[in-house]
Amino acid sequence: MEDTQSPRASTAVELTVATPEGVLFRLPLAGPASRLYAMLLDVAIVLGTVNGIGLLVYWIFAKAPGFGVMVITLSEFAIGFAYGALMEGFWNGQTIGKRLFHLRVIDQTGLPLRLEQAWVRNLMRVLDALPFAYLVGGISVLSSPLMQRFGDRVAGTLVVRQTPLGVPGGECWTRQKYNSFTEYPSVAMHLRRAATPELASLIQDALRRRNELAPYARREIYRELATYLQNEISSFPDELVERLSDEQYLINASGVLFGDQRPSRVKG
Amino acid sequence: MILNLERFQAQARPRWKKLEALIGSLESRPDRRLNPAEAEQLQELYAQVAADLNRVTHGALAPELRQYLERLVGRAYAELYHAPAMRSEIWQPRRWLRIFTAFPESFRRQSRYFVLSLLVTVLGCALGGLAVSYDPASVDVLLPADYLHNPGERVHEEEQGQRQHPHSAQTEAAFSAQLIRHNIQVALLAAALGVTFGIGTALLLFENGILLGAVAVHYTKQGFGLFMTAWLLPHGVFEIPSILIAGQAGFYLARLLLHRSEDRNVRHSMREWLVLVAGLAMMLVWSGVMEAFFSQHHAPVLPYGFKIAVAAAELALLTIYLSLVGRKEIGAEAR
Repeated sequence: MEDTQSPRASTAVELTVATPEGVLFRLPLAGPASRLYAMLLDVAIVLGTVNGIGLLVYWIFAKAPGFGVMVITLSEFAIGFAYGALMEGFWNGQTIGKRLFHLRVIDQTGLPLRLEQAWVRNLMRVLDALPFAYLVGGISVLSSPLMQRFGDRVAGTLVVRQTPLGVPGGECWTRQKYNSFTEYPSVAMHLRRAATPELASLIQDALRRRNELAPYARREIYRELATYLQNEISSFPDELVERLSDEQYLINASGVLFGDQRPSRVKG
Repeated sequence: MILNLERFQAQARPRWKKLEALIGSLESRPDRRLNPAEAEQLQELYAQVAADLNRVTHGALAPELRQYLERLVGRAYAELYHAPAMRSEIWQPRRWLRIFTAFPESFRRQSRYFVLSLLVTVLGCALGGLAVSYDPASVDVLLPADYLHNPGERVHEEEQGQRQHPHSAQTEAAFSAQLIRHNIQVALLAAALGVTFGIGTALLLFENGILLGAVAVHYTKQGFGLFMTAWLLPHGVFEIPSILIAGQAGFYLARLLLHRSEDRNVRHSMREWLVLVAGLAMMLVWSGVMEAFFSQHHAPVLPYGFKIAVAAAELALLTIYLSLVGRKEIGAEAR
């Protein structure tokens, strides 16, 4: 089933981490475009900071502008490297730009990056930035299976996307008071035996995604699934099926398959 | 087994929320240490949520839920298996001052790469020098425009102070900052080019060597050897070794990348590279200051003998620093 399960972001490159307990989890890697935007924002922040410091320094060294230039040149140079290294090292692998674009630098084993890794990847920018506009780094990212620029390759780090995800809501997509399929226990039993796990999961997923599907697509998918179940798996009486919409048919089938419906109270 | 997602989510959501809150509090305060009860709770919740992830992976078509659980497990895994450095420890001045002893220690530990770096530079020097001695016309190709015109004129201009700006201390300050910045950038590039398996580092050192050899022979042949020695050495005794150390860091990085799979302590190796880079940056700050404030003054303001004596003293101090500092500590640790 794992192979058939392709998340919405399946086109993105991912890092798969196997924990010592044998649990596998995947982290989506950041593409070059989002990284470039984050970097441009960071460059703007650094330039803003340096200019701010510059104004202050010019004011302090008003009578000795040469020393002012010295302080500004050196502080600009130092801030250029230290901003990324210290922010990433102390702020969960994020600079301001990375945080705003939901990116994070981590160790390639899936653990947080360490301070020395942050320094190494930021000092290596002298190479990645060559010959202009991070061309070397960009080529390195595009040619690397883990989207690493040279700085990342040396430091053993990578940049992941970390879009915030809320706790999944408590949706109820099959709950109902009464399931008419339980009035036909032998057909329901047949449905339960004949449906493959993949098919059951497919029905559940189709119902769960009800509100994500366009009305036309929903109608078509539900119709195809209900027709397949009715014709190929188990045939409930026509007089019952005619009264049900395709969606209701699937909700009832789902109730039978997952066995969470209370037995119907048949009157008389 | 097919998972009934509705029921499963309703049952598991409280523990996902609990784990998320616990991790959130740890992430927002990296200095915070868990008490035993919290650590046990984190371990327990991590195991439960990892099991939830396994169930969703194998028993349901729920990509968003799987993604959410993967993210949660990933964050919990990071908190369980990673001990972040304590910020309070990092800001201790003693830790930062340790660089002054760590640098010579690293330099000595990786001295074979320094020798390699020296050999490549010497080879470049020899070739540059030989080319200029046997084919004087090659200076046009080997030297940048600034060095091309008649050395006699250049020496005359330098000695007359014609190349100095009227407000010399101010200009020198700005000039020194530019030199420091440029030199550190070049040295960092040499150290970073280790990723090309050391080829880029070697080429950069070789080119630097050719330039050095060609300039030395070009000026000496014209009879300005003393001027050139006094001009270049006061800052060169720091600048040239620091470029060699950059080469050393580059070759060390190349070795590190080639044998990464065998390296059991990548963290330590990476720190070694950083220490070398930090050390050479400190040396280049000094060399930049000397180049701007001292080297550019010539006789009669500063006699050449004095300038060369200062350079010799600098070299002696640097040699003592690089070969002796930190030795006692190693001895004490060994005992």
